[in-house]
Amino acid sequence: MAPKICIHDLEYAYPPLTPGGPPIPALRGVNLHVEQGEFLSIMGPTGAGKTTLCLALNGIIPHSLGGTFRGDVIVGGLDTKVQTVPTLAARVGVVFQDPDSQFFTMTVEDEVAFGPETLGLPPAEIRERVDWALGVVGMSDCRARSPLRLSGGQKQRVAIAAILAMKPDVLVLDEPTSGLDQRGKVEVFRAIEELRRREGLTILMVEQDAEQIAAFSDRVAILQAGQVVLVDTPSAVFTQVEVMREVGLAVPQVSDLAVRLNERCGSTYTFTLFEQAYEALKGKRMGGAMAGRRDDSADERVDHCSPILQVQDLWYRYSDEIVALRGITLDIEAGDFVAVIGQNGSGKTTLVKHFNGLYRPTQGQVLLDGQDTRVLAVSDLARVVGYVFQNPDHQIFGATTREEIGFGPRNLGLVGSELEERVAETLTYFGLTEYADAPPAVLGFGIRRKIGVAAVYAMRPRVFVLDEPMAGLDEKGRLELMRALQAMREGGSTIIWVTHDVKAVCQFARRVLVLHDGRVAAYGDTRAVFGAPDIVEGAGLELLQITRLAQALASCGMRRDVLTVDEFCAAYLDGGRERP
Amino acid sequence: MRTAFDVYVERSSWIHQLDARVKLLFVLLASLALTLFSNLFFMLAALVLVQALIASAHVPRDRLVWVWKAMLPVNLFIPVLWTVFYPEGPVLYELGPVSLTPLALSRGLGVAARLDAIAFIGFLWLFTTDQRSIVRSLVKIGLPFEWGLVLAISLRYLPAFQGLYTLVVEAQQARALDLTSGGFFRRLRARLPILVAVIISALRMADKLARALECRALGLEGVQRTYLHDLQFTRQDYVLLVALLVGFFGLVVLRVLGLFTHPLYVFPV
Repeated sequence: MAPKICIHDLEYAYPPLTPGGPPIPALRGVNLHVEQGEFLSIMGPTGAGKTTLCLALNGIIPHSLGGTFRGDVIVGGLDTKVQTVPTLAARVGVVFQDPDSQFFTMTVEDEVAFGPETLGLPPAEIRERVDWALGVVGMSDCRARSPLRLSGGQKQRVAIAAILAMKPDVLVLDEPTSGLDQRGKVEVFRAIEELRRREGLTILMVEQDAEQIAAFSDRVAILQAGQVVLVDTPSAVFTQVEVMREVGLAVPQVSDLAVRLNERCGSTYTFTLFEQAYEALKGKRMGGAMAGRRDDSADERVDHCSPILQVQDLWYRYSDEIVALRGITLDIEAGDFVAVIGQNGSGKTTLVKHFNGLYRPTQGQVLLDGQDTRVLAVSDLARVVGYVFQNPDHQIFGATTREEIGFGPRNLGLVGSELEERVAETLTYFGLTEYADAPPAVLGFGIRRKIGVAAVYAMRPRVFVLDEPMAGLDEKGRLELMRALQAMREGGSTIIWVTHDVKAVCQFARRVLVLHDGRVAAYGDTRAVFGAPDIVEGAGLELLQITRLAQALASCGMRRDVLTVDEFCAAYLDGGRERP
Repeated sequence: MRTAFDVYVERSSWIHQLDARVKLLFVLLASLALTLFSNLFFMLAALVLVQALIASAHVPRDRLVWVWKAMLPVNLFIPVLWTVFYPEGPVLYELGPVSLTPLALSRGLGVAARLDAIAFIGFLWLFTTDQRSIVRSLVKIGLPFEWGLVLAISLRYLPAFQGLYTLVVEAQQARALDLTSGGFFRRLRARLPILVAVIISALRMADKLARALECRALGLEGVQRTYLHDLQFTRQDYVLLVALLVGFFGLVVLRVLGLFTHPLYVFPV
């Protein structure tokens, strides 16, 4: 039988942004075959062409977006060059990253019925399909609700159901969980797994979470600069740790661990799943001294005497029913590096928006340098507290990157050569010089994200608040951003950072604030917080794979508070007993 | 979160269960009928009747208060201005150049009451008809499906735009944009970065939306769209339809006879 999807020498370039300009190449000779019933994951750095590939599967590329298209895409025997988009869309369902932009109606049920209605099916069959699709994703109880009032995970499950109801042969998911918290992620993966088990659908998923890919997919394709550079089973791909690092992608932490242990003690481990690592390592004698320990002891950069931000019994109500913050009290010390974590809706963004006066307390107060934020204007607070918004597009307006970055400093009163110098320096610092005169709105997401951070950095704030700065970035982008933040901290800034990215928190944050339901669930040193799994899990968050492994192996003498793969290796190789 | 764009009150009253088209016809005929007459007491009676109808649909009282508040300027200015500028008939009281005449006052009050009644008739429809049925009824009476879809999507995206605007304002304020100082033009100019960012984001949103619509096979050739929930006339709807037409015809007859056309008296004088 012929494969379900055949992609042969696919080359594609987007039409030029300006008339007469050069076309923008996205795919440079992609070859890929996917069998009926297979689950193929696609990983790749930002700008590798992952979304472009998804759009090529249902003909939106090239039919709707134009551009130059070469090669063949054959899906279920249909040549996408010949078929129309609606014909293909009924056979190849595509779910996008942002569920909000995929809804057109006022109720969940109408949303799921929309596709079958377009197909002109009889109402009885539409009813049947809606019931079935909502059942598969576990959303049957929400059919009368507005899709806008659901949680992120629920929204994405409705978006999947809306595509499923058209009964496509192939389901394509473009980073369906990247905007979701841990609970939402688990919900969506469970729904996809259920679908595959029950329906035997062919699934193609773009995803960055290597651990989930290892658990669910049959094969992984690595896309880099518009080409498939590697395609194999997860265990074959994730054991090539070096290749993955070069491409700029993460592997499951246990795969990383296997390679390091093999290097150090000549073993021949290949782990891709938690269970494999646990089975292989349990019963071994391991210890607690950590030579490669993350440096989180005394830190002279933190000024313990004078907190820069003091939050005192802070309450915030959006309305009578919606209370976002319920009595928060905490100090943030100058020079600290604090990660704020918690589920969606736990109050993270609401809390940090108080730090620069965007929100004013309903009750209680927030003191910046001992001064009540209620008496200061947002534009004055902005001199001290820089705030980077979650979505860079909410602030980008400039005709050039230079203008965009100069906007904040100019508002602070900088002019002439001083302004120019500040902008030039910022451009160099973030490696954005080559984009200085390009319109930022048309640059890639990774670059726009960087510009968003740079535009705030240029204002030289003493406190730096970032809301989900890692969302949508690949491994390389995340590391670059983290290094920039660490450098800012070296320069004396205080960094406060809202995130879902527990891995980055464990690697970089000095302190962690865990919010749950508008209250502080935990606030302390990163190691102490993650060493107490009950609190973290109680707040709806998941521990890192490596920390979970360490805790599962605690009976063999492993430390419970391991935060990185390096620490695990060191503790494992130490071979001694846990220190008193 | 409730937004000002969605005033629908979810209940299962007899009015909620009526076909949206019948309710739409009621809105049109009732509003038209009110414009045929100018008697104050007729208008007050109509106002009481439509309020009773809304109450029978279990719409909470605060919604009625909300409409009254919105109509307050109309209820204040029209009677006052009418009395001041169009005095007619016997004078009750004189204050400088202004003379208070009962006839002009009742005309002003009558016009205000008519506008109130029309507003409540419109809101009766909006309070008791969900957006799906509103759009569906308009498509059923001849609006092209694509226009209906555009209307539905606009209603759906208004709160999203409101949210987007708020976020962009916050994002630019966080970069020390000062929106409050300076004169009118300076403040207007300060809004420019907000406007540009909103437009760029909105275009991005529209782009995503267009792709998502294509992914639901919109525009499939040779296929007649079907509906899971289609509007269906029930016996109640037919009864009411006939009643509406008869009632309207009756009112036209009254108008031809000249009844309720004087601001204060039932019969023409």
